[in-house]
Amino acid sequence: MLELRSVSKCFSSITAVDNVSFSARPGEVTGYLGPNGSGKSTTMKMITGLIEMTSGEILFEGQRIQNDLIGYKQRMGYVPEEPHLYAHLSGQEYLIMVGQLRGLDAKTTARCIDGLLRLFLLHGDRHAPISAYSKGMRQKILLSAALLHNPDLLLLDEPFSGLDVGSALVLRSLIQELAARGKVVLFSSHELETVERVCSRVVILHRGKIVADDSIAHLRTLMELPTLESIFSQLAVEQDTAAISREIADLIRA
Amino acid sequence: MTKLQFRVLYRQFLFRMVDLELLSASAQGDISKLLGQFAGLLVFFSFACSFGSLIFDRGKLSPPKLQSALWGMEHFFISTTLLVVGLFSVLSWDSTFPDRRDVLVLAPLPIRARTLFLAKITAAASALSLTVVAMHCFAGLGWPFHFIPKGGNALRSLAAYWITMFAAGAFNFCCVLGVQGLAAQLLPRRYFLRLSAFLQMAAFCWFVSSYLLEPSIVTPSAFAAPQNQRALEWLPSYWFLGFLNQLNGSMHPAFTALTRRAWIGLAVAFSGTAVAYALSYFRTLKKIVEEPDIVAGSGGVHWLPGFGNSLETGVVQFSIRTLARSRQHRVMLAFFLGLGFALLVFVLKNPGPKDASLRAELPLLFTTVAVMCITVVGTRVVFSMPISLRANWIFRVTQVSSVREYMAAIRRPLFVLGVAPVWIVSAALLFSMWPWQLAADHLVVLGLLGAIVAYVCLAAFRKIPFTCSYLPGKSYLHMAFMTAMFLMLFIVRGVVLESQALQNSTLYAIMVAVLAVAALAARWWAVSRANEEDAVVQFEEVQAPILQTLGLNRDGVVTTEAASAHNSHAC
Repeated sequence: MLELRSVSKCFSSITAVDNVSFSARPGEVTGYLGPNGSGKSTTMKMITGLIEMTSGEILFEGQRIQNDLIGYKQRMGYVPEEPHLYAHLSGQEYLIMVGQLRGLDAKTTARCIDGLLRLFLLHGDRHAPISAYSKGMRQKILLSAALLHNPDLLLLDEPFSGLDVGSALVLRSLIQELAARGKVVLFSSHELETVERVCSRVVILHRGKIVADDSIAHLRTLMELPTLESIFSQLAVEQDTAAISREIADLIRA
Repeated sequence: MTKLQFRVLYRQFLFRMVDLELLSASAQGDISKLLGQFAGLLVFFSFACSFGSLIFDRGKLSPPKLQSALWGMEHFFISTTLLVVGLFSVLSWDSTFPDRRDVLVLAPLPIRARTLFLAKITAAASALSLTVVAMHCFAGLGWPFHFIPKGGNALRSLAAYWITMFAAGAFNFCCVLGVQGLAAQLLPRRYFLRLSAFLQMAAFCWFVSSYLLEPSIVTPSAFAAPQNQRALEWLPSYWFLGFLNQLNGSMHPAFTALTRRAWIGLAVAFSGTAVAYALSYFRTLKKIVEEPDIVAGSGGVHWLPGFGNSLETGVVQFSIRTLARSRQHRVMLAFFLGLGFALLVFVLKNPGPKDASLRAELPLLFTTVAVMCITVVGTRVVFSMPISLRANWIFRVTQVSSVREYMAAIRRPLFVLGVAPVWIVSAALLFSMWPWQLAADHLVVLGLLGAIVAYVCLAAFRKIPFTCSYLPGKSYLHMAFMTAMFLMLFIVRGVVLESQALQNSTLYAIMVAVLAVAALAARWWAVSRANEEDAVVQFEEVQAPILQTLGLNRDGVVTTEAASAHNSHAC
């Protein structure tokens, strides 16, 4: 189980994440939602160990991740929000490098890479440089890199970004399949419809603070709202969307 | 509207004239500081040269010697201008044509292609002028007064000097642009892009080697000598020597043909470049948009051998691929290799008097040792320049080995890419030229020296090559320059010692033993520094604090800062 206890992150005087506590259990997909700038990606980066938290603690299977960061990283797979990759390498070379950095067995990794590239329909482009890949292709490389070592914890930050309908459907099933096999999946996205279909429970963040942490079904009943979108709008959207759109249209007309 | 667009675009293009990505634009830091250092070096060069003009005494020299000395100085300034402008054009190679980002950003805007073109050309001309002005700002106010011919006037000499320097610079820059434009016209864009990288390297090698290898022809008899005619016909620095002398009114008959070549060269370079560049510019604008997003997979060789354990192999293979595919890093390394190559050719061409008491060729000993040092230092410098900085998260997330293992993996690429290639090439060269035993003896020494230099370079290096951000302006170029000069003197002394040792087996054994101990000590030093308790793999170059605390707190009293640091660590 992944557990965050009173985690905060401050950048100078700005508090990006404020006293956040929640847990993600094996066998279920936990959705992590919030508007732009609410601190989702910052939390994800703290969970991966990319940035240090200002206070609080993160535990994986009861152990503070900082106690054995190397052991923790061996069991964690991460798909970042932005597809930053070494574009001068080919897709295959990149995945081989990730396998080498993780210290995986070369032969097994090669077989796994070959299989992933075939299943993600990238095999024909495996020798092309990543600089020539489309956004969706890059996303598939990120997913492959995150899955290569069969992680126990999967952190997915906007994993559907740029994927075509077919690949998105595959990924949706894959996330559920991995959760069913006992993996901890923390999934952050703005696509509320997908989140509603994939996640069993959601954590909603607003201005760095948690405003909801429950199962979607329970939230619906509790708030007497029909969809996750309406729940999210009520909890995390402060603006009058119709008024803003009218204002924009008026502004450009002037 | 067009004037405003021109001004905005001109400013943008001028700022990006020197390839800022080469200097890691994505890294945090002050790029202008580094560019300022380069400008400072040029101004320093100019200042040092102008000092010479103050102490130059025309009266002490006989007329023929005075003429030779003045021609020599004139030629020195012209050829150095050609070199500096050549290097400038290599650095700004890609910024002279619009890149894909330019086109995709600017094409949807209501901007005429003509405005873009003019802004680009004007920015290039401004940057070129600034380079020439920085280089001659002091020398160009002193030396022209020594170049005044009999009956000539100071103003004409001054004007002739500056016109010649600008003309020589423009000639070189136009030649580079013209070659690029011609290649872009003749080849499909995809092939042009591939060839362009090789052309850039070739241009770099040409500028450095022609500067270092061109013969010194500064007397009327040398100009008339038949064996020099071919060199004079092909070396633009001598054409512009004639050009300068024609403009300041001291035209010597020996310069007539050269001056004609300078004028023809300028006309061809300007007109040919204008046509080729303009055509290829407008063609490129269209082609860039039409470029396919997906490139077909190449069928080249992708296999690389293992280099130790899986982490070491991963880091070394990444380093090899980055160096092989990143044009920016190749150009950086080419700068160092170019110096080594020019040194090698220079020494092989001018071996100097052979010392009868020495078995080995002293110049070749010096060259191999100097090239080893230059290559190892250069490779280490290139390793600190990042590529796709924001992609380095993968190295952080996959950091599943101990710091000690990472440090071992960090050391390996320098040996694979710096020490081993020079050693192998030297072995091939020496075994083909010297008796095998002598070659083997020197190769042992060369290997040990390479290891020492590599370990010294790696002592404070805790970065996976090409993955850590770079702070421009952090290193002091003038200090590096002075250290390099000192190192060269040290190498000369060391090589003389080695040549004596190669004749005496006892001395040789002592020398090898000393070097082996030094290599082991350097290794121990590098490894122990890398494995210090607080050692971490560095991904972010941090700015040194403006205020440095001395930590002079009273015994037993913890400062507020230390206490807060301790608390945050505990959390």
